Amino acid sequence: MNPLPALVLLPIAGGGVAWLAGRSRMAAALRVHDAPWRIALMTLVLETLVLLVATLRHPAHAEPWMAHFSMPWVPTMGIAVRLDMDGLSLALIWLSLILCLACLFLATRQVMANGGVFHFLLLATLAGVIGTFLATDLFLFFFFWELMLVPMFVLIAVWGHEDRQRAALKFFLFTQGGGLLMLLSILGLVMMHYRADGVLTFDYFALAATPLSPTVSMLLMLGFFAAFAVKLPVVPVHVWLPDAHTQAPTAASVLLAGILLKTGGYGMIRFNVMLFPDAAARFAPLAMGLGVAGILYGAWLSCSQDDVKRLIAYGSISHMGFVLLGIFSSSPMGMEGAIVQMLAHGLSTGALFLVAGSIEERMHTRDMRRIGGLWAAMPRLSSAGVFFAVASLGMPGLGNFAGEFLVLLATWHVSPPVAVLASVGLVLSAIYALRLVNSIFLAPQGGSLQPMADFPARQMMALGCIMAFLVVLGLYPQPFMTFSAPSSPFPTTAAGREGHAS
Amino acid sequence: MTLHDTFLPSPLLVLSAGIMLMLAGMAWRRSVVRGLSIGLVTELVALGMVTHHTGTVPDGSMGLFIQDHWTAFTAMLVLFSSACILLMSWRDLTDDGARPAEEYPLLLLLGTLGATAMVFSASYVPFFLGLEIVGISLMGLVAFNHRHFMRGCEAAMKYLILSGLSSAVLLFGMGLAYALTGSLRFAPPIPADGMPPAMAMVATVMILVGMFFKLSVVPFHMWLPDVMEGAPLPVAAFIAVVSKIAIFSTFVRYFGTGSLPPALNGMLYAVIILTILGGNLLALRQSSLTRLMACSSIAHVGYLLIAFLSPGPLQPGVITVYLVAYTVSTLGVFAVMCACSPSLSPNGAAITQWGGLFFTRPFMATAMSLMLLSLAGIPPGIGFFAKFGVAATGVARQRDLLLGALVTGSIMGLYYYLNIIRVMMKAPATPATKTAWRMEPELTTLVIVLTMIVVIGGLFPARIIHPFLPG
Repeated sequence: MNPLPALVLLPIAGGGVAWLAGRSRMAAALRVHDAPWRIALMTLVLETLVLLVATLRHPAHAEPWMAHFSMPWVPTMGIAVRLDMDGLSLALIWLSLILCLACLFLATRQVMANGGVFHFLLLATLAGVIGTFLATDLFLFFFFWELMLVPMFVLIAVWGHEDRQRAALKFFLFTQGGGLLMLLSILGLVMMHYRADGVLTFDYFALAATPLSPTVSMLLMLGFFAAFAVKLPVVPVHVWLPDAHTQAPTAASVLLAGILLKTGGYGMIRFNVMLFPDAAARFAPLAMGLGVAGILYGAWLSCSQDDVKRLIAYGSISHMGFVLLGIFSSSPMGMEGAIVQMLAHGLSTGALFLVAGSIEERMHTRDMRRIGGLWAAMPRLSSAGVFFAVASLGMPGLGNFAGEFLVLLATWHVSPPVAVLASVGLVLSAIYALRLVNSIFLAPQGGSLQPMADFPARQMMALGCIMAFLVVLGLYPQPFMTFSAPSSPFPTTAAGREGHAS
Repeated sequence: MTLHDTFLPSPLLVLSAGIMLMLAGMAWRRSVVRGLSIGLVTELVALGMVTHHTGTVPDGSMGLFIQDHWTAFTAMLVLFSSACILLMSWRDLTDDGARPAEEYPLLLLLGTLGATAMVFSASYVPFFLGLEIVGISLMGLVAFNHRHFMRGCEAAMKYLILSGLSSAVLLFGMGLAYALTGSLRFAPPIPADGMPPAMAMVATVMILVGMFFKLSVVPFHMWLPDVMEGAPLPVAAFIAVVSKIAIFSTFVRYFGTGSLPPALNGMLYAVIILTILGGNLLALRQSSLTRLMACSSIAHVGYLLIAFLSPGPLQPGVITVYLVAYTVSTLGVFAVMCACSPSLSPNGAAITQWGGLFFTRPFMATAMSLMLLSLAGIPPGIGFFAKFGVAATGVARQRDLLLGALVTGSIMGLYYYLNIIRVMMKAPATPATKTAWRMEPELTTLVIVLTMIVVIGGLFPARIIHPFLPG
């Protein structure tokens, strides 16, 4: 059996069951107040098993594309359900699952108001994200791209904090605006292919071979770039991010920072660079400029935030600048660095949001000036917080360092001044991360601090797993780099892919 | 002409028979439920007979009526929508037992007859007759607002005057066309020898303007929000769906799907851009849901015209899907509005009154959100595929300006649709007061059916794509 459709459908189905279990009548019948949570957990465990199968089924003769699934959908328009998995998508799906599991362990069990719907939306977002990572039909990709917005919008708008509705609307509008430009690009590419070949298809592999004039390929690439730049985010279109991350409930913040931003990076690798290599190369100087701007601007703003979540959110913008820099550095090393950075940022920032959410839940504020001296009261939580803050400032030996170092090295070959500027961002990131550590965990405690529940052992175990991943990623990134390399869409591999599918 | 020579599509016969039956019933004894039932049965029977006809098919293009895939498809849409609208009105009419208002289903059936006649017409005569039947019955229906009699009357007067004006322009254009060609055949006039070519242009433009009035395309859109706001909710749905589909169907029949005269092309370009931007900008500022739906329907006609203006292999299927998506989603929104309106103030007008619907009536709120998302073009609604198709036809013909308008309009549209969803998600200030909901089986069923069409059509659109356009 092919595991790919199951990977997408399972979370939706599990979410539906969780929703039903959360209905008040059902909950009364089940006599478990957290039935939706349990069902969501079971779904994720099942999903992990399916993914494990998919990972281990990797055929002996190493092929870049590991699994393939295809089924006609709208044959008259050449649209099909095509799912393909390569190392990059596999790595990112693993990241999504790990973060989702951590979310369930740390943040969602206490969601009492409409817990069933909450878990359904969480899993639906996950399904949409996994779908975008797998889809190799451009229509299907766009379908999932849009589909994951809706549950996230509802999650922010209903379960978020004080200014949630404005933030949710902003998030949706920005992403959708970029998405529509991408739609036009997708259609433009399909039509160019139709004119050249007379075949109407949305197949990624077929479209990759479309002959394009330089101007057209540049235009089409920019359309894709617009959508991914909003998601990543790249600096002029990052405005939605701090609001959305700050206002979202903890679990949604984790998904946003940990996974949704990665869909932007994934799209840039899979579509911008792979489909339009020449245009991407010509666009690279500008993209790298935007990347450096993001690194410096995000870090600079992060230094002057008082809101914990906002600080982390601006830090994310800065880190994603490295991803952009790496992707467009036009070297394999930069690409590997960008991927490692995506994985490490997903883990460390996701975990930081979990910690920040737990703090907020206990202290009822996100204002760093009013929180202080948590180390004494909650040593476990604080140590976790310190670990992830240090990880995100790029401490050698942890994943983020490996990613940033590779990106900087690759950038240095292309343009030393850019690399120098980007390393200034590292200094700034040390400032904001240490400021976070100092004022929350280490500073003398401000007001009277009620004794508060620390993280229980189970939650520490979940965080411990994330820490272990970060350490491995930092100390020995080579297997991850070879494992998660994106595969090329070009005919030689496509032929092999078809052979494997049969 | 003997009976043998007449060619009549069956739905027209069925509808006329239903109207006669209803009139006879009224003369005997008045009963709203009977009137509504007759209306519903008539429409369902007509729906089943859209591909049937009596008499022989005329050879050539001489007949009054025509019957092909396109008529079958649009007539089905018209009859289906009309049946839905009857169901939506059921509760309000039967509630008012003191004054049995059988005229309402009668007028509704009459309006449906007019719309169906337009759909089947292959000549100016049945087209104009149908148009006027729709116009006159709508005037009565719009004024049928029991709760706000004055407002209904005002809206009806507005509709009467503007509809009369546009009919006059249309009629003048037809007259010119007849003078030029000496034929009532339903096609843009091609001047005979010795006739000034400018006259053909004038005739076409006048007919176009008349149709644009009825389609409420910017700059002829002013009447639509006012009339829809004054009308009872189901009638507003009738204006937004049935009459627009009938007009659009004849519009496509008239101008064909080939290329328009180049001068008209430029005009249509401008009109489409104005319509999309104008409709969406107007909708941004509305505080009443009915008016907002009116403005959004203006914008949707603009999107539809993009597909009309971009002939290509994709076009027929895309127009089909778009019409289905627009019809079903709009009907769905109005059905939910009808279901929730008793608890809201008159006509469920102000958007702010929808606050907290997710907490008081979660099912209705979910259905409403799905419909709105479908209108906004977000998956999993069928509207997503429809908008995707429109963009595809536009890209295929490189309509860059129109695509720009489409993107801008869609983003604006997303804002006001999401805004409604946002309002519905607002936690109610007071803890949810359990209002006694009356069981409304017909409305609930209707909403369920429409929601299923929207979602299933959105997930498996392949079944709906059929090239139905007239050749």
